[in-house]
Amino acid sequence: MGNFLQVLIDGLLNGLLYALVAAGLSLIWGVMDVINFAHGEFLMVAMYLSYWLGFLLDIDPFISWIAGGIFLFLLGAVTYRLIIKNSLGKAAMAPLLATFGLSMLLKNFCMNVFTPNFRLLSGNWLEGRTIAFGGAIVPLPQLVTALFAFAVLGVLYWMLKKTRLGWAIQATAMDKEAAELMGIDTERIYLLVFGMGGACVGIAGSLMTSYLAVYPEVGGLFSLIAFVVVALGGFGSIPGALLAALLIGLVESFSGFYIAAVVKYVAVFAVYLGVILLRPRGLFGW
Amino acid sequence: MRSKSMLARLLVFTLCGVFLFGGAAFGADKVIKIGTLFPLTGPSAVSGQNCLNSLLAAVEVINNAHPELDMPLAAKAGLLDGYKIELVKADHQGKPDVAKSEAERLYNQENVFAIIGSYNSSATKPASAVAERAKKLFLCGASSSAALTERGYKYFFRHAPTDAIESEEFTDYISWLNKEKNAGIKTLGLFYENSEFGKHAADEAKKAAKEVGLEITADVPFNVGATNLSSEVQTLKAANPDAVFGAALGGDYSLWVRTMKQVNWLPKIAINYCTGYQNPAVQKELGADGNYFMGGMSFSPELAEKFMPEALVVQEKFYRPLANQPFDSDSVQEAVMLMILGQAIEKAGALDTEKVREILASETFVSPLSLSGEVAFAPGGQNIKALSVITQIENQKYNTIYPEKFKDSEVIYPMKPWDNR
Repeated sequence: MGNFLQVLIDGLLNGLLYALVAAGLSLIWGVMDVINFAHGEFLMVAMYLSYWLGFLLDIDPFISWIAGGIFLFLLGAVTYRLIIKNSLGKAAMAPLLATFGLSMLLKNFCMNVFTPNFRLLSGNWLEGRTIAFGGAIVPLPQLVTALFAFAVLGVLYWMLKKTRLGWAIQATAMDKEAAELMGIDTERIYLLVFGMGGACVGIAGSLMTSYLAVYPEVGGLFSLIAFVVVALGGFGSIPGALLAALLIGLVESFSGFYIAAVVKYVAVFAVYLGVILLRPRGLFGW
Repeated sequence: MRSKSMLARLLVFTLCGVFLFGGAAFGADKVIKIGTLFPLTGPSAVSGQNCLNSLLAAVEVINNAHPELDMPLAAKAGLLDGYKIELVKADHQGKPDVAKSEAERLYNQENVFAIIGSYNSSATKPASAVAERAKKLFLCGASSSAALTERGYKYFFRHAPTDAIESEEFTDYISWLNKEKNAGIKTLGLFYENSEFGKHAADEAKKAAKEVGLEITADVPFNVGATNLSSEVQTLKAANPDAVFGAALGGDYSLWVRTMKQVNWLPKIAINYCTGYQNPAVQKELGADGNYFMGGMSFSPELAEKFMPEALVVQEKFYRPLANQPFDSDSVQEAVMLMILGQAIEKAGALDTEKVREILASETFVSPLSLSGEVAFAPGGQNIKALSVITQIENQKYNTIYPEKFKDSEVIYPMKPWDNR
């Protein structure tokens, strides 16, 4: 029973983190139909920012997430203005290749500036702290990160459903031309959506630095899982991303423990293929 | 007037070109091109860059006169009658297919005399197969998969002790602990990356464990660069083996250690193959969490002080300025292979691949950068003088604990639990 509970908790905590990483991607993909290949590198940039703020200025990741969110919002907005905007409406692959180029640029920039060394932030507030719960151990850094993820997703969902900005975003996603005819400034919406996508991954990356090592390749597998979460949950759906991420986290955790650790990603991608086969638009797609 | 001025400018450019590039071309006659093939990007990039820096340190020793160093090739500048080594660098990103194509490019387009590499056994395997087909030399420092020297290759030479040698050493040590310290180690867990290196290390560990009657209660491969190792560590914890052999590189190693801390579990001892354990940069980041783990090593600054004094001089003068850290057990072996190749070229008296190969295969070389002090290769290319010791890390210092001949500290056994440090 202790093992089962531990595996369940691990799966839920990892799932909530995946949800936060994937939320921004889901928003961008759902609204703009643009696949941001640099999403994993945005995560890596946020982790480096949080690491250096912690290392040089002694700012804990549970504070520096604010800086991570703002910086990545700006990075997202600048990326839209300088790269995405110019590639939209051209060849179908143009935005995709442009973000791929950006991902290479960011990764190699960090590789050269920060070296490929693994950097682990020590002396964090919650480092090594755990809660014993029914025979299972809940690591506090992951628990707080998961709670943050839940809160950020809640705010994002509320914004999309209950505010005028959210309605404008949904309208732009459904029919850009009709939204423009209704007086919505879709350019501004695109800019904000890219910025918000960046902010989500910025917050996730900053919080992750409290327990994960930072290095230039760290975003790779996270972004791959984020793509799976978005496709599984449905493009543009925040509840979909949340449920899909929890599903992915649990499948990964249970298959890794009860079948074999080495097959955990095999199981994740098998579930993804199965759902896509039965329901191509994902669980909650727009 | 304008056309005359243009003509004059063209003339100046042409003359500059002749002086700059023509000069380089004339100078290039006395250059020995050596290909380096390491993971300079990707998950093993830290180790790959350390290996490259180590080779650059060896090039400095060979290319310039350093009479203050008491080691072969240091006294005079260059090889033969003034040949300088020039490294042609390639990056295989930790991918076997890239390693193969880069080896082909280095031999066929860059015309390198030999390749040194490739750190990851999975990359060394296809790259050295290219060398064997082309009848070109391939020298390997750190790749430890025993399979590499079991292929009967003629042009492949490897310095590192194999996983087979290390596995036997680890189980010997466990037997010694059981006998001398009444340690009561009966069960073994294996935690290894799902790659050529990791799987081979695990196979060798299983064979060695069987020899000494250790029961394997957990067999846990993991995916390189995983986002978390929760299930893997949970599996180890559920099986609760007395000892664990680990094969996890760089970031995976630090994630493994941190995850064990999170779930508040440790075996009585954890011994590592050539992994993140041996990398001082990884240990620096782990800090006190890295304490009491063990690993097989053929170099540490503490060992060098006693048994390899020249290695420390090379480290401080040429390696540390590049890498900003001391040599590690993996990277120093790449420098050894370049020094051995240089000696073989000197003995051959010419840049003749066949002659150099024969000398590599038949002679014993003095090697002040190796723990054993010398290097000799068996058929298949394995260094029969390869030596490794077991160390235990404490406050980022590698204490040698086994064998008795090299021992400088007593083992701390069992590992101190996380909540009692």
